[in-house]
Amino acid sequence: MATSTAPRPGRAAADPAAVPARPPRRRRSGASLPYLLLLPATAVLALVLGYPLVRLVLISFQDYGLRALFTGVVPWAGWANYRTVLSDPELVPVLLRTAGFCAALVAGTLVIGMLVALMLGALGRRMRTAVTLCLIAAWAVPNVASTLVWQWLFQPVYGVVNWLLTQTRLFGDLTQHDWTTSATSAFVLVWLLVVWQSVPFVALTLHAGLSQIPRTYYEAAALDGAGPLTVFRVITLPFLRPILGLVGILSVIWDFNVFNQIWILTQGGPNQGTTTLGIWSFTTAFSSNSLGQGAAIAVVSVLLLLALTAVYVRRLVRSGEDL
Amino acid sequence: MSQTKAGPIKVSPTKAGPARRPRARRRALNAAAVLFCVLWAFPVYWMVDTAFKPYGDILSTTPRFLPYPFTLANFSDAVHKSGFLTDLANSAVVTCAVVLLSIALAFFAAVALSRFRFLGRRGFLIAVLVVQMVPQPALLIPIFLSLKSADLLNNLVGLVLTYVAMVLPFTIWTLRGFLHGIPVELEEAAMLDGAGRMTIIRSVLLPLVMPGIIATSVFAFITAWNDYLFAYVLMKDQSHYTLPVWLVSFSTSTGTDYGGLIAASTLFALPVVVFFMLIQRRLVAGMTAGAVKD
Repeated sequence: MATSTAPRPGRAAADPAAVPARPPRRRRSGASLPYLLLLPATAVLALVLGYPLVRLVLISFQDYGLRALFTGVVPWAGWANYRTVLSDPELVPVLLRTAGFCAALVAGTLVIGMLVALMLGALGRRMRTAVTLCLIAAWAVPNVASTLVWQWLFQPVYGVVNWLLTQTRLFGDLTQHDWTTSATSAFVLVWLLVVWQSVPFVALTLHAGLSQIPRTYYEAAALDGAGPLTVFRVITLPFLRPILGLVGILSVIWDFNVFNQIWILTQGGPNQGTTTLGIWSFTTAFSSNSLGQGAAIAVVSVLLLLALTAVYVRRLVRSGEDL
Repeated sequence: MSQTKAGPIKVSPTKAGPARRPRARRRALNAAAVLFCVLWAFPVYWMVDTAFKPYGDILSTTPRFLPYPFTLANFSDAVHKSGFLTDLANSAVVTCAVVLLSIALAFFAAVALSRFRFLGRRGFLIAVLVVQMVPQPALLIPIFLSLKSADLLNNLVGLVLTYVAMVLPFTIWTLRGFLHGIPVELEEAAMLDGAGRMTIIRSVLLPLVMPGIIATSVFAFITAWNDYLFAYVLMKDQSHYTLPVWLVSFSTSTGTDYGGLIAASTLFALPVVVFFMLIQRRLVAGMTAGAVKD
């Protein structure tokens, strides 16, 4: 991503004069060695990522249900799976839910992460270390463990968060409140959890980016009497744009695919109220045993995600020129 | 939340105001930082606190904020639960295998990609990048069916292969970035001294790329250790579960034993948290090296 600001040596690759600038590499002799070195990795990737990817598309065109699982005979279904999925009344709510939840997560993570990154830069060394350690602790907890801790924090009757909220006397007596009984409050629960764990990566990465902006720009801005907001808009944001773009896209990908936290906390309930695309594909395939339809949903979500991140993918592939 | 408070006090001093202002600013900033730390550390604190509290204090309608009196009963309770030790061993075996295999495969691939020019090199790199974009849950169904027909369901080998494939794109990409940073002159010097290709790879490249190997093995470790979804679907019975699956099945099967559950979660989270703390300085550099540097 840094390629968009940094000088791009690879851009000159088309220019033959630029090639000798590179250190000469050993090629010619032993031309099969690189292929030998690549072979094991390629084999695993092809077998466990490439083949399943192709098979995912195939399955989405097959009638892969319980009968197929038992008999091993899998009839082709044409577009039937897609037709069923696309005409399912659940489709539109699921799509809206997935998109809305993903947007809320990305926005929350980026805004809080940016503020924390700015705060880190302005703190003294000791406070900065303290904040960094807290961030890393939150980041490090495996999400299954953190989800179980969340369940415990927000437990009706014994949950400490319910107790604390009741003590503030702002919301009345919440001690008996079960957060998973309504879709909205269940989403709030999951949102808090995911944002809590995603902010550290964003904040630390943005902080690393911030510390690379030359101080002289800020000094010049101060001389010109620019206020903090102007400085942020005119200096910080433009410098940070490449990293912000990377972090934003990664957040979209990760938040679109949030599964464990929702599955463990709500299983997509209540009344499918928290069923996102991932959960829908999973329950269709493994609870209702319609693997074909589950695969069709997965294909649809891969295409959606690709469309969402197309700009990024295109830039990546184009940066392939620099490889 | 604290973040909104941190809002207006962000950019470094701009206007030289009266002498008192910077100090007030500093104090507000530190207050915001303390509030942030409390909010962000609390869930982790509460996990550890609960793990060390006696049963009666855990199930009390007025929470106690200090683990006093202190007990290890929850940990012994967790460890003696059926399946914990077996599944811990499964997790350890799978994770070690994934780290070793993925690093070995990725290192060879990265050497090929950064030190040789050959037909298909660019295509391979782009394929690796694009494959990385495919969300893992989407691959769950075909991997499940493929392992089923290969008779590798409910088999740790299938799980190891799956994780290695998940980890490889990022690992190859990152190691290649690290190898790029090593001057080719070193290898040429070794070659002049009569070292063969494999010797060069082993005794020149490998030691120099060690930081990259550490960064990527952390990634592989975390992927394999933390994964729930694949282990949950691919493993059928408790003797083949990994720790995350054990934890979740424990939480649904025994309604209120939060002491044991949280103690087990703490044990499960511990290696990763310690790991992160040890390498915290390199963490961000390692996570972004492959993506940011080209």
